[in-house]
Amino acid sequence: MDCGNGARARQHVFLLPEYLKDASKKMKSGLIFVKLVNPCSGEGTIYLFNMCQQQLFEIKVFKEKHHSWFINQSVQSGGLLHFATPMDPLFLLLHYLRKTGKEGKFQPLNQVVVDDMFPNCILLLKLPDLEKLLRHVTEEKEIDKKKYYKYSKEKTIKWLEKKVHQTVSALKTNNINVSARVQANAFFSGDQVSSEEDYIRYAHGLISDYIPKELSDDLAKYLKLPETSASLPNPPSKKNSKMTAAQKALAKVDKSGMKSIDSFFATKNKKKIGEISNFGK
Amino acid sequence: MESSDEVAVEKCRVHLRPGTLRDAACATLHLLPCEVQVNGPAPVERFFTPAIRQGPDGLEVSFRGRRLRGEEVVVPPGLVGYVTVMEEKGEVPVGKDFSEGSSNEDEREEQKLTEPPEALERDFDQFFGATASFSRFTLWGLETIPGPDAKVRGALTWPSLAAAIHAQVPED
Repeated sequence: MDCGNGARARQHVFLLPEYLKDASKKMKSGLIFVKLVNPCSGEGTIYLFNMCQQQLFEIKVFKEKHHSWFINQSVQSGGLLHFATPMDPLFLLLHYLRKTGKEGKFQPLNQVVVDDMFPNCILLLKLPDLEKLLRHVTEEKEIDKKKYYKYSKEKTIKWLEKKVHQTVSALKTNNINVSARVQANAFFSGDQVSSEEDYIRYAHGLISDYIPKELSDDLAKYLKLPETSASLPNPPSKKNSKMTAAQKALAKVDKSGMKSIDSFFATKNKKKIGEISNFGK
Repeated sequence: MESSDEVAVEKCRVHLRPGTLRDAACATLHLLPCEVQVNGPAPVERFFTPAIRQGPDGLEVSFRGRRLRGEEVVVPPGLVGYVTVMEEKGEVPVGKDFSEGSSNEDEREEQKLTEPPEALERDFDQFFGATASFSRFTLWGLETIPGPDAKVRGALTWPSLAAAIHAQVPED
């Protein structure tokens, strides 16, 4: 019987941008998975780096209970689907800029992006158009043709506001229902109108997955989002299995309206992150 | 000194061989609504594929005596699906013969033992290669067609949203 290639080995199912196929034609090895700091949690997270074109991709995993793959003539448990999507490296740089920003000094970038835990952070320094990127979130000085940077909260908040509006447009064009709070009513009236505020709140939630909590709160204030109980961590979703479908739908309503990216992937990776911490030994 | 640092850094990387992305042959994928606690060869073409029928509103098949209903899912534009495998390096994958199944009471115990598959990070300092590519797969639901509300469909909208979140913003 033909079992297909490597059918016994563990198989990962990936969705990758099409252009990666041709991207690294010249190189034997140009795509690497590296562990870098997660700018939201501060923990280690795996990213994909295209050495050839100097691009950063984040990896998200779709994982839902009770799934498996049939791949040709083989079976793969778990049913995981990995996504690699382009990531704005500024979110990662911001993590380091904010850290050194507390010292209030102008510093060269190679003294800012330093990390004993995640030494691969030096890859970030090789990214193209770095100076242009940094202009969004830092004040800069040039002395003897060398650039020095200082974190600017004001600029960062403005940059994040643009990100939020950019995301709002995408939510609208993708017809993503953001009216979490309205949904309960809509359940009965069939009327689903999302207000602009719903969109902004939802987009704010998505962006908040890439910035630390403190900055997320500042951004919410800047956007004049009404305060909610959303500052609590997501409640553990241990749902009663006896609930009816309608009850479940109602229970799903996210009262904060904030949407975490995790919700797209049906799982929370909180536990996994802890397991990675001994990585790199 | 600098070079030894490089070596240490190198260890934290998994390489994906770009050449394999170009050569990957097309694969047939099914996403089943059940957990099969095994990784390994399975005679899909002998038992599963020939049993697939085109029903009045979607595909039908049965697996372990349960009726499944399915539909084709297309990979979002601009993306390609790949099946990747870690290149062998003395690692023995967990998994038993398909025929053994795992329908006993120890299932939970067993799950603990066989859980690692998702741990991409476990296999660092290694090489990945694509063994197959795909542009669509069949999504199966138990008794009913998964439909537009299937969570995996939600996940597939992610790339277009991520593009907006991560696109560069215009300068003032």
